[in-house]
Amino acid sequence: MSPDLATALRIETPQAPDQLRERVALIAAQPPARSSRPTFPLRRLALFGAPALAAASLFAAVAVGIKTAAVSESQPEARSPAPTAPGAQPFAERRALDAARPAPLAPDANSATAPGPSRTRAQDVQASLTVLVTGTDDLSATTQRALRTTRRLGGYVVSVQYGTPEPSEGTSELRVRVPLSRVQAAIVQFSDLGRILAQQVQISDLQQPLDELTRRIRRLERRAADARGDELARIQREIAVLRRQRVEINRRAAFATVQVGLTTHEPQQKVAPPGRLKRAIDDATGVLAAELAIGAYALIVAAPILLLLAAAFALTRGYRRFADQRLLERA
Amino acid sequence: MRRPVTRHAAVAYTQYVTAVTNAPPSFASVAEAHLDDVYRYLLYVTANPSTAEELTSETFERALARWNRFDQRRGTAQTWLCQLARSAALDHFRAENRRRRRESAFAAQADSSAGELELPDEYGPVLRQALRTLSAADREVIVLRIVLEQDARTAARVLGISPSACTTRLNRALERLEQKVRPRLVA
Repeated sequence: MSPDLATALRIETPQAPDQLRERVALIAAQPPARSSRPTFPLRRLALFGAPALAAASLFAAVAVGIKTAAVSESQPEARSPAPTAPGAQPFAERRALDAARPAPLAPDANSATAPGPSRTRAQDVQASLTVLVTGTDDLSATTQRALRTTRRLGGYVVSVQYGTPEPSEGTSELRVRVPLSRVQAAIVQFSDLGRILAQQVQISDLQQPLDELTRRIRRLERRAADARGDELARIQREIAVLRRQRVEINRRAAFATVQVGLTTHEPQQKVAPPGRLKRAIDDATGVLAAELAIGAYALIVAAPILLLLAAAFALTRGYRRFADQRLLERA
Repeated sequence: MRRPVTRHAAVAYTQYVTAVTNAPPSFASVAEAHLDDVYRYLLYVTANPSTAEELTSETFERALARWNRFDQRRGTAQTWLCQLARSAALDHFRAENRRRRRESAFAAQADSSAGELELPDEYGPVLRQALRTLSAADREVIVLRIVLEQDARTAARVLGISPSACTTRLNRALERLEQKVRPRLVA
């Protein structure tokens, strides 16, 4: 472009006329309008909103971490379940069931301290032991030894479950009944089969129901002495039923049930519960991870919609510019 | 009536006050400083003094209504006012198009009158005739870059295009203008 043309364009372009100058001066004399609606600049919102959101998330995670750590501090048992050997799982379940019973006795590794049955009262004695053996060969031999011990003590085997799912792993579960008078000897000998992992002895009194049955039978016998005909026959049937029940109780009281679990699994060592700070950090990290996961999920769900909106916005803007340019070119 | 000294003095004073007091300029001072810029811009775009005057008034009314949204950090007052003026001009052209479509019975007559631009007498006959032949888009980029002496970036911001596109558009517009002006100057 020639300098003359540029100069001519600048010089020959007129200034605003005085009339317009006065009109604009009147407009400018008015006070600027105050916008009633607040403005939210997107950049400023993003600049302050994103760090604020991150800080809030971090704060929430730390607060939750500290709170849950404090709560679990007061309930340590919730975090440290007692380890159990895989083979001892049925016994553990049974222990949980037995806990509701009236007189459960705590497991004790020392068989010498196991409580013995009363010699004067009828009792239902149930004992369970979990014993660790060194390998599957030892497991087989020990199972045989346990069966022989049962028979030697005058008892009998109710059931045996023997399994070796892996060449080096296996479990054997025996349910035996031994005479009540020899139950302590049985426990001692079963304890010698290997290293005791768990032991429980439970004794329930049967003397009271036995006495009650005896009293009812005697009452019925007295009534039978005066009865005749059908009534006598009915009373005698009742007496027979009660006697059978008494025999059943006596049979239960005569033998103790011992469940022996043999396993090759070494129980997991009890893991020391983590410190309060570590728990707080773990919980806070978990909360942060959850927040991130929620954010990522929301982003994944919202991303297509946002992309569509952005594309629509860009298209609309581009079309508007194109239309404006065409309008000016035609004007 | 030309008052370049007054205009430059007003702009310089506004800039001085803003720099010294570090306070946003008043709307009145901005209006006074950039009235000629807005009018010149609209005169080029519309090629009609009376329309340019109307649109200039409208631009400053819009500016007054939106004055609280003006942010100096995002651009100069001149750029902001030129953007508002451009929007007003586009609204004017759209309204004119709608009016023409409605008055289809007089379309031919209206088209012929619309094509006849009424540039003021201050322009020399050669330049006046040459500017008449350019489109509003060509005149727009010329007024922004040559008359108002905006740099490519600022002018591109007003036009809503990239600086390189703005430069290309300017070169083409000037080429067309020179093609019209040169034969007449030679003659």
